[in-house]
Amino acid sequence: METLIFQGLVGLSVSMYLWLLAAGLTIVFGVLGVLNFAHGSLFMLGGYFTFTYYGLLGINFWLAIALSLLSVGVVGYFMERFFLRHIYHMDHAYQLLLTFGFILIFDDAVKMIWGGVAKIPPMPSFFEGTVSVVGRPFPVYNLFIIGTGLAVAIAIWQLFEKTWWGKMVRASASDREMASAIGVNIPTLFTGVFVFGAMLAALGGALGTPVRVVAPGIGAAMIIQAFIITVIGGLGNLKGAFVGAIIVGTLSAYGILLFPVFELFLIFLIMAVVLMVKPQGLFGGG
Amino acid sequence: MSGSKEISRRELLKAAAVAGVGGVTLGLGKAGIAATAKEKPAAKTKSTKKILGVDVIKLGGQGVISGAHADYGWQIQSGAIMAIDEINAKGGILGSRLELKFMDEELKPAVAVKNARYLATDWGAHLLFGVDSSGSAMAIGPILPELDRICVFDHASTHRLTEELVYGKGIKQIFRIAAPVYQESNLAALIFKENPNIKRWAGIHCDYEYGYSVWAMFKDTLKKYRPDVEFVSIAWAPFWTMDFSSHISAVMAANPDGIIATPWAGEGVMLLRQALMLGVFDKVQAWFQCMGASVDILEGISREVEAGKFKDKLWATARYIHNYPNTPENNIFVANFRKRWNRFPNYSAENAYSTIYVFKAAIEKCRSLKTADLIKAIEGLKIMTPAGERFFRPEDHQAIYNVPGGRVVKDPNYPIPVLGDLKVFPAAAYYRNPPFQALTMGK
Repeated sequence: METLIFQGLVGLSVSMYLWLLAAGLTIVFGVLGVLNFAHGSLFMLGGYFTFTYYGLLGINFWLAIALSLLSVGVVGYFMERFFLRHIYHMDHAYQLLLTFGFILIFDDAVKMIWGGVAKIPPMPSFFEGTVSVVGRPFPVYNLFIIGTGLAVAIAIWQLFEKTWWGKMVRASASDREMASAIGVNIPTLFTGVFVFGAMLAALGGALGTPVRVVAPGIGAAMIIQAFIITVIGGLGNLKGAFVGAIIVGTLSAYGILLFPVFELFLIFLIMAVVLMVKPQGLFGGG
Repeated sequence: MSGSKEISRRELLKAAAVAGVGGVTLGLGKAGIAATAKEKPAAKTKSTKKILGVDVIKLGGQGVISGAHADYGWQIQSGAIMAIDEINAKGGILGSRLELKFMDEELKPAVAVKNARYLATDWGAHLLFGVDSSGSAMAIGPILPELDRICVFDHASTHRLTEELVYGKGIKQIFRIAAPVYQESNLAALIFKENPNIKRWAGIHCDYEYGYSVWAMFKDTLKKYRPDVEFVSIAWAPFWTMDFSSHISAVMAANPDGIIATPWAGEGVMLLRQALMLGVFDKVQAWFQCMGASVDILEGISREVEAGKFKDKLWATARYIHNYPNTPENNIFVANFRKRWNRFPNYSAENAYSTIYVFKAAIEKCRSLKTADLIKAIEGLKIMTPAGERFFRPEDHQAIYNVPGGRVVKDPNYPIPVLGDLKVFPAAAYYRNPPFQALTMGK
């Protein structure tokens, strides 16, 4: 039993990175209707910027994260304002092509700027150490990640439920023309939502840096999991992304512990079952 | 040999341009360095008739130059380019210059096969080398007879390449210059059989050919010496695993005394960092990181080694380590490599560097570029390399040389951690020998 609790907690901390990634993906899809393949690349850029500000320039860890969110936000602004905006009216296939192109561009840009070798940012010393959970050492950092993931979930929920901006976003998500008719500036709002989604991805990437490495290609590797999560939870549904991330993170942790031979297969099995029973995803509309 | 005609200057320039474009499409960062190894006009080309009948000997290389493992392809290229430039500066091989084209195998067998076909058939490579992934190597091996080229594998390490494809199926075009998985499985077993307190072993392994063969062979060998050991848990991690926390906590649930792990490159660094986070080194007595003595991993965990976080429990080996052996050949190689690239060479670099010199020795021996002649020339070849003397065993075309295992330590003479407390075993003690008995492997 202790083993299961511990493994679940480890899985939960892994889930939180997935949640931050899937949250932005699903918000952008829900509001803008764009399935952003390059969303994982924004996660990767968040890692690279944090590595640069914190690992190379020695800026304070928290400030480095804030700066990296801003930097990725700027990248997101340019992506939306000068590229995506021009294809909203087109078929999804064009959006996939364009955003897939961005994956290649970001991967090569990262290689040109930072090189092909994986970069390893240092761990801030105040995060070192473990606490005892059911008699086993559990990293303080993983607790911090779990806390941050939950805090972000509450903050996003508050943002969309309680603020004026959130209400405008929800209004334009449910009826773009009507929102426009009552005076919502849709293009500006879309840019804002895209930048917000990009910053969420960057936060996931930034928070990973103390324990992971940053390397070209990690974005494309992460995006597959984010897609699985949004399919399980329901595309465009925030609650679905949260629950989906926890399902994928904890179940793969249990899979590794209990069924090491077909652990990889487990997640796809769950996705298949969800698609068969509820094709719109667990929290999908309809 | 097909394509062994005189090449005009225009054709040469065209080929160089094609190679340049290839380099760009592979990714701009590291691939560009491939260009430095060509286009140096050889002196006195016109007067003497070429012994080999060609101005240029084309070498087609492959490795992974994208993603978390990209450093390995970079190291292969850097080692090969250094050897090629050295040889070209001295007039080439029998008067023919060397030219390199290097492609990204992306750790995908289908890509590696496509590249090999392109290099041999379209680009006209006389010789092939490289390949990081065992899966890719197992896919390229069987098409070599059809391509009529030899390939010297300088990283992919599954024992099946030489045991099954060369010894079993007689595909003589395959050679391997790097130590195979005997290095991390059998050597590890020899080192740890001496430690009576480590009885419970766990594994965290790559979920593909490489991980399967290491885990199978380690268990098989250790059990022979130490019937009392138990293998208590195992976790498998596919390529692109970004977080090993779940794997680590799963195997730690079984309270192992020792852990042997295969994830390599950036993934190896992540695994070790996350193991530190989870307090693993307070619990286990030893952790053997198979290719942990590769330069990229040593660089990646430098801070933690310096701070003593691994508590001297981290062990590793590689297919060559820069601080062994202490010979003039090795010392010069390391010094030149550092001067040229401003880094230490890892095993891929040494293996690729020595590969080019094996080509040189073989061509000079048989004075031909014909595949059949080259095979005869390399079988039984003994050659001094930075890693020590290598001998190509005729039965399975595996190069025999030894690399020690040791503890990862900080040495004041080096800017990055090195292996200390070296455990040196002669290759004969830990290499498998023909006739080979098949191992049961898989998950």
